[in-house]
Amino acid sequence: MLSKAFGGDVVIGVFAYQGERAAASDWSPVIRYLNQALPTHHFRLDHYDAAGLRQAIAGNRVDLVITNPGYYVTMEAEFGISRIATLDTEDSDPARALGSVVLARADQPALRELADLAGKRVAAVAPEAFGGYLVAAREMLSQGVDPESDLKEILFVGLPMTRIVEAVDAREVDAGIVRTCLLEQMASQGKIRLDDFRVLSAHQVPDLPCAVSTRLYPNWPIAVTRQTDPALAKAVARALLAMPESAGMSWAVPADYQPVHELFRELRTGPYTYLREITPEGLVRRFWPWLLGLLAILSGWIVHTVRVEHQVHRRTAELRESLAARDQAEAKMRESQEQMEHLSRLSVLGELSGNLAHEINQPLTTIGTYARTVLRRQESGNLTPAAITEASTEIAREAERAGGIVQRIRHFARKREATREAIRLADIAEDARRLIVGMLARAPEVVIENRLKDGCQVLADGAQIQQVLLNLIKNAIDANRDLPADRQNLRILIEPMDSRVAVHVIDQGVGLSAEQLPHLFEPFFTTKPDGLGLGLPICKTIIEAHGGRLWAEPNQDSPGMRFSFSLPCHELSA
Amino acid sequence: MNYQPEDCIVHVVDDDPGLRRSLRFLLDSVGWTVRLHASAEEFLDVAVAPTLPSCLLLDIRMPSMSGLELQQVLRERGIALPILFMTGHADVSMAVQAMKSGAIDFIEKPFNDQKVLDAVAAAIRHSAEALDDEARRRAAQAMLAQFSPREREVAHQVAQGLPNKQIAGNLNISEKTVHIHRQHVMEKAGVSSAAELARLMLRADPAALD
Repeated sequence: MLSKAFGGDVVIGVFAYQGERAAASDWSPVIRYLNQALPTHHFRLDHYDAAGLRQAIAGNRVDLVITNPGYYVTMEAEFGISRIATLDTEDSDPARALGSVVLARADQPALRELADLAGKRVAAVAPEAFGGYLVAAREMLSQGVDPESDLKEILFVGLPMTRIVEAVDAREVDAGIVRTCLLEQMASQGKIRLDDFRVLSAHQVPDLPCAVSTRLYPNWPIAVTRQTDPALAKAVARALLAMPESAGMSWAVPADYQPVHELFRELRTGPYTYLREITPEGLVRRFWPWLLGLLAILSGWIVHTVRVEHQVHRRTAELRESLAARDQAEAKMRESQEQMEHLSRLSVLGELSGNLAHEINQPLTTIGTYARTVLRRQESGNLTPAAITEASTEIAREAERAGGIVQRIRHFARKREATREAIRLADIAEDARRLIVGMLARAPEVVIENRLKDGCQVLADGAQIQQVLLNLIKNAIDANRDLPADRQNLRILIEPMDSRVAVHVIDQGVGLSAEQLPHLFEPFFTTKPDGLGLGLPICKTIIEAHGGRLWAEPNQDSPGMRFSFSLPCHELSA
Repeated sequence: MNYQPEDCIVHVVDDDPGLRRSLRFLLDSVGWTVRLHASAEEFLDVAVAPTLPSCLLLDIRMPSMSGLELQQVLRERGIALPILFMTGHADVSMAVQAMKSGAIDFIEKPFNDQKVLDAVAAAIRHSAEALDDEARRRAAQAMLAQFSPREREVAHQVAQGLPNKQIAGNLNISEKTVHIHRQHVMEKAGVSSAAELARLMLRADPAALD
């Protein structure tokens, strides 16, 4: 077929936790839908167990990955895969869809809370199973029961999960860990009676028709790898977000997987396994030979006891310092991860708005065609009542279609409350600088110069102002990427300007041509090959909403451009 | 030949029903006869070589058989129909491919309706000219089919401007016989000069005098 020439096989690797067959029937609507929505590509599913999927990602054999939240976070940390949409099932919020149930026989009066599990025998699926172990393990840990040391025994029985319910029922174990709604499902199939079991630490969650023992986590994501063609990723993301529920499955904008990160961190597993090395036992294990040697020295050189003791002191202090540094680095990483997530969500919205604008253009064009054709018919005298009826019906239908699209935009872009609080521009600039330097592989040097004196207060939405600054810095870096390293460096200057505050992002690049300058802030004008041309117009809107101004001009005394914005400042009453 | 607008047929192949209807409303307003088809396959079921000026407004992207594939099949079947491709904003490379394969033009979605009307008018004109050329060729062929084998030989040489004497020599017959054959040829072909005869023969077959 000719169309093959315009695209190739796109492989979606699926984590198949119930065996390949179940996975194929689970996800086939996605394949069907994508093949229809993007006919120039051919999508197919490949099913993998955990180890197989990891190899497939490492070996670039998959373009897209569908997996559970736990495995996703692990692969995100290891291979930098990044989600583009989250599964949206009926009756549950995509960000709070998965949880676990810890169950015991109802005739075990001593088992009511997760804290009661100490010294008991518990069955679970596998040490790396998300809903079948990890989710409940975190909750047990937070109630003071370490699943690795405080239980009498933890038995990993594998899939299917119904085996766990059977083991509890047969008193082979005291309690078992299964995913939410499994009990209710088995009961509705007549396999068990709900009254025979008790859900530990049970609570109800709004919108979830099942009992649950744990907090809830986001649903399964679909992710792209570092190698996936960005244009394909964009097309797939758009298509999935537009996938109607009638196609068998629907997707939402990517959820926040921070709760899954927190789970792994608390359990010190998955991407955070390295944290185990810092436990006291881990340290002893790691430094054992060193301590032995020290002992030998001690016994051999009693004369130097004092000196050696001093050395031990010093080493311990160093160790403590390095531990603190590690904690700090970790906190920083977490922080920048959160901020990056926020940014990526914003950029998805940006991309969508361009796409939806295009979609809205179609019904508008059709409406225009009908209206002009009616006029043309009237001029040539062949405007029949039937023609008027047809045109009016179609115009109404297309208007409805446009209205539907607008409705969807509203749904996506749930507006944040406008906040106005006292901000420190120097701090925001410093945060933006750190974020950019952390995100880019070869970031240039960014120097911040603050000439503001106290006594002037800026009231603004800090996150939005930071978004503007990030945009300006990113633009400057992108525009000057081909220059020698020392000419890529940037300066951020914060200074008073009349009764206002001005922030300048100053580069030493080649600047912009006289033709480009006047169009800079027009929507969809861009000098980047893959740019959307929405960045600066959005920045302008943000700054103007703060009562400020955003402008660009060439540097007076040196090459390059400066992008500046001003914000009103309020004098502090002394 | 003169064709009335309603004699001319515009085929529209697009999978979006709303768009199909709006194109019919637009094209109908200037009098063309419009035929709508929901898919390439549906069009292929009824596609024949046109006897009236026709053109095809074809969506380049469709779910099962694409516009480019349909173009290919029509070419294989020898159906000469001017094709106007309708393309989305991201289909530039496909549009280039389509033009390389002989499409007459392409129109970008969303359309400017005047551009659609102009492009369709040009395509119909193109088709009408092709039909007229074909009709003239057939008529010329019919005239020349009346010649006897000997007359055909004589006509060939007359059309190349040879005098009777030389033709007689070439064919090894008398000059008088050549004269009689020449008269018959001129009568049957309805022409009065060697130049007119040459034009008629070239119309029937562009390679006739090579």
